[in-house]
Amino acid sequence: MRDVLSPFLAWKNLFREPVSIADPLNREAAPRYRGFHKNDVSKCIGCGTCETICQNGAIDMVPVAGFEPKDGDSGLRPRIDYGRCCWCALCVDVCTTGSLTMSNAYKWIDADPDAFRFVPGVDAKSWDEAEDGYRRADGHHLTIRERVPMQELAPEVRVGGFDEIVAGYDVALAKLEADRCVSCGLCIAACPTHMSIPQYIEAVRDGDYRRGVRLLYETNPFSNTCGRVCTHVCETACALRNEGDPIAIRWLKRHIMDQVSQDEVREIIGAPAPATGRKIAIVGAGPAGLTAAFDLAKAGHAVTVFEAAEKPGGMLRYGIPEYRLPYDMLDRDIDAITSLGVEIRSDCRVGRDVAMAELHEGHDAVVLAIGLHVGRSLRMPGSEHPQVRKAVDLLRSIGEGMSFDVPRTAVVIGGGNVAMDIARSLARLQKLTHGEVKVTVTTRKEPGHIVADPEEVRECGEEGVVIAYARGPQRLVIEEDGRLTGLLTWRIVPKIDDKGRSATICDEGDAVVHPADMVVEATGQAADVGLLGEALTEELAWNRDRLAVDADGRTSLPWLWAVGDCINGPDVVHAVADGHRTAAAIERAFAETSIERTRPDARR
Amino acid sequence: MRTLLARLKERFALGPITEQRPDLAFVTVERETLRPLLRHLRDAEGFTHLVLLTAVDWIEEGLFQLTWLVHDRRRARDIGLRVMVARDAPVMDAVHDLWPTAATYQRELKEMFGIDFPGSPRIDEEFILEGWVDIPPYRRDFDTLKFSEETFEHRAGRGTTDPATHMREHLGIQGGSK
Repeated sequence: MRDVLSPFLAWKNLFREPVSIADPLNREAAPRYRGFHKNDVSKCIGCGTCETICQNGAIDMVPVAGFEPKDGDSGLRPRIDYGRCCWCALCVDVCTTGSLTMSNAYKWIDADPDAFRFVPGVDAKSWDEAEDGYRRADGHHLTIRERVPMQELAPEVRVGGFDEIVAGYDVALAKLEADRCVSCGLCIAACPTHMSIPQYIEAVRDGDYRRGVRLLYETNPFSNTCGRVCTHVCETACALRNEGDPIAIRWLKRHIMDQVSQDEVREIIGAPAPATGRKIAIVGAGPAGLTAAFDLAKAGHAVTVFEAAEKPGGMLRYGIPEYRLPYDMLDRDIDAITSLGVEIRSDCRVGRDVAMAELHEGHDAVVLAIGLHVGRSLRMPGSEHPQVRKAVDLLRSIGEGMSFDVPRTAVVIGGGNVAMDIARSLARLQKLTHGEVKVTVTTRKEPGHIVADPEEVRECGEEGVVIAYARGPQRLVIEEDGRLTGLLTWRIVPKIDDKGRSATICDEGDAVVHPADMVVEATGQAADVGLLGEALTEELAWNRDRLAVDADGRTSLPWLWAVGDCINGPDVVHAVADGHRTAAAIERAFAETSIERTRPDARR
Repeated sequence: MRTLLARLKERFALGPITEQRPDLAFVTVERETLRPLLRHLRDAEGFTHLVLLTAVDWIEEGLFQLTWLVHDRRRARDIGLRVMVARDAPVMDAVHDLWPTAATYQRELKEMFGIDFPGSPRIDEEFILEGWVDIPPYRRDFDTLKFSEETFEHRAGRGTTDPATHMREHLGIQGGSK
C-alpha cells in the first residue's frame, strides 16, 4: 500500500520553498570536510580499486588522453558520477597510491546534470589546488602493507649444503598473503607470458588448487620452476608496491603447485588433441624448447626434443643451483610435459649424433632452443690459466654431480645473478670441504647498481661471500712456479666526459690483489651455434652473433625457428613466453600449408 | 575507574571488562543486568548523560552488539555497557524512561538494524528512510552496491573499462589466458 501511495506523498512538497539555494554567506567547509574529489593523475596508476570498493557504482575507469598503458599503469583514470557518490570516502581510503583525495569544496550549482560527472585531476576544477579537504590519515590503510614473511633456512644452516632455502607458505599463510591482492590485474601485462595472476591468487583465496593449477598451465608449464626462480617482473608492476610490499606472486604460484599431487597435475593437463600427423624436432630441452614442445604436443603434433646433456632442463638444471630450484621440482615440470607424449632424446647432441639436415628431412618444423651455454671470457692477461674457469662450466659440473678441487679462496668476476649463483655454490662447497667460506665477488658496479637481484646480493652477504664493488679486473696474478694466487683489480671511478656523457675510468693508484686459487668469470654467455654446420650457418641470416628471427621466432629459413635465451638473452619466464609464441606461430604456419608442402620426406 | 568497576562488581554480574583509557571502560553484561546497572550508574555514580546508543552487526557470530555509552560530567569519564543480542531474535529492553533521548536512538536502531525496543515511542514509524522495502541497511548482509544498482539508474554516458583488458588491447598482448 505504501509503495502505491509514496509517489503521491511527494506532492505535498510541491508548493514549498526550494531547499537548494546559493549559500548567501559563502561559508567555508570544515578543513577535513569530504567535498569534491581531487586526483594526482601522475601518481595514479589506474588500478581501479576505487571503482571496485565504491558501494554506489559511482566510479568508471576511463581512458584519458596523454596516459598510455605502460608497466604498472593501466593508463585509465577514475571518473566520478556525483549523482551517485555518497561522499563516504572509501575510494580515498583504499587508493593504492594515495593519489585520490577530496577537497573540502562542496558548493557547485549547475543546470546541466552531466557536469557533475568528471575525471578528477583531468577535467580542471576550481578546487584542484585546494589545501583543505579529506585525505587518508597517516598510518591508516585498508590494504595490508607488509607481505606475509617467508620461512627460510638460516644463513649458517643453508651454507652447509644445497638444501632449498625457501620453505614455501602453508595454506593459512598463503590465504593471508592472497587476501592482500586487490585483483587489479596490472601484473598481467608485465608478466612476459601474461599469466592470469589475479585469477590464480583468487584460487588460493578460495582454496581451489585444482582451478589454480589449470590457470597456471594455461600460460606456463614451468610453474614449479617459476614459482621458485622467476625474475617476477609482475611484482614490480603490483599496485601494492606503491605503499608497501608487492604481493608475493611468485611464492603464491609455488604454493598452488605445492598443494596438488603430480598425478592430479597430469590429470588436469589432460590428454593431447588427436594426432595431426605433423612432426616437429626441437633442439634443446630447456624451458623455451619444452614449452614449445608442451603446446605443440597438446595440439596433437608428434614432438621430439634432442638434448645434448644427460638430463633435460637446460640451464634450469645445469645453471641454477639446487638450493634455489631442487632437481625433483624441475623433474615434476618436465614429467608433466612428457605426459603429453613429448619424446626427449637425452645425450643426443645435434651436430654430432644427428645432423641438422636429418632433422629438417624428417620433420615439418625444427625449433632451435639451444640457450647460452658458452661462457664469455674477459681475455685478461693470464686468463688461459687452468685455474681460471667460467661460471657456466662450473655450475654445469655441479649440476652433473662431478667433483673438482674446491679452491680454498675463490674470486668471482661479475655482478649478475650467475655470479651470485656460482659464488654461493662455491661457498657451500668450501664450507663442506674446508669448513670455511672464502669467496669474493668483484663487480664494476657501485653498491645499489649491481645487476643481480637485491635478495641474491643480501643472501650472498649473509652466507659470508664478500662483494668488492667498483673494481675493474686487470690481470691474473701468477707466481713463477705457475701457481695462480690472485686477481689484480683497479678502482672504477665514475666520470663525466667532455660531451657530458657518463663514463668510467680505472684508477691505477687504487690497486688491489684479491687472493684466489681459483678465479671464475661470470661475465656473459654465448650460444654454441656450431651444431648448425657451415652450410646452414652461411644460408641463415644473422643479427651480429645471434640468429636473425622475426617477431614469432622464425629464422630466414621457413622450416627453422629459434627461441629462448639464444635469441632474447637469459631469463626463464621470457623463455617460456618465447616457447608459447613460437608454438602458436608454427601452428599458424601449419594452418596455411598442407603437410605435403612442408616436410621434405613427405614430398617424395 | 578501577575502584568504580570493583564497586560495580560487588553489586552486579559483570562480564568481560575492557579498560580502554583511564577515563573510558567497556563492560559486557547480560540483558537483565542492563537496566538496573544503568539506573545505578545514573542515580548513584554520577553518569547522568546518555552519550549514545549504537549497534554492531557481528554477523559471523550471529549477534548484534548494543552499546550504551554514559558520561560522568563531574569526573569527566565514560562507561560503555554492552549487551549481545541474538541476530535472529533482535529484541532489547528500552531505556527511554531513564533518558528520554534514548527513544530517538531506539527508533534509529529499529530502522537501520531491525532491533526492536518494545514500548519505545513511535518505534515503528519511519525515521529517515522513506518507503524502505529492503532488509535494514546497516545489517552486514545488506548489499549496498546491489541495492544501489537496482534502485538507481545510471545516467546515459556511463561506461567503464577493465584495467587488464585495456592494457591487453593497447599493448598488443597476444597469448596469455583466454
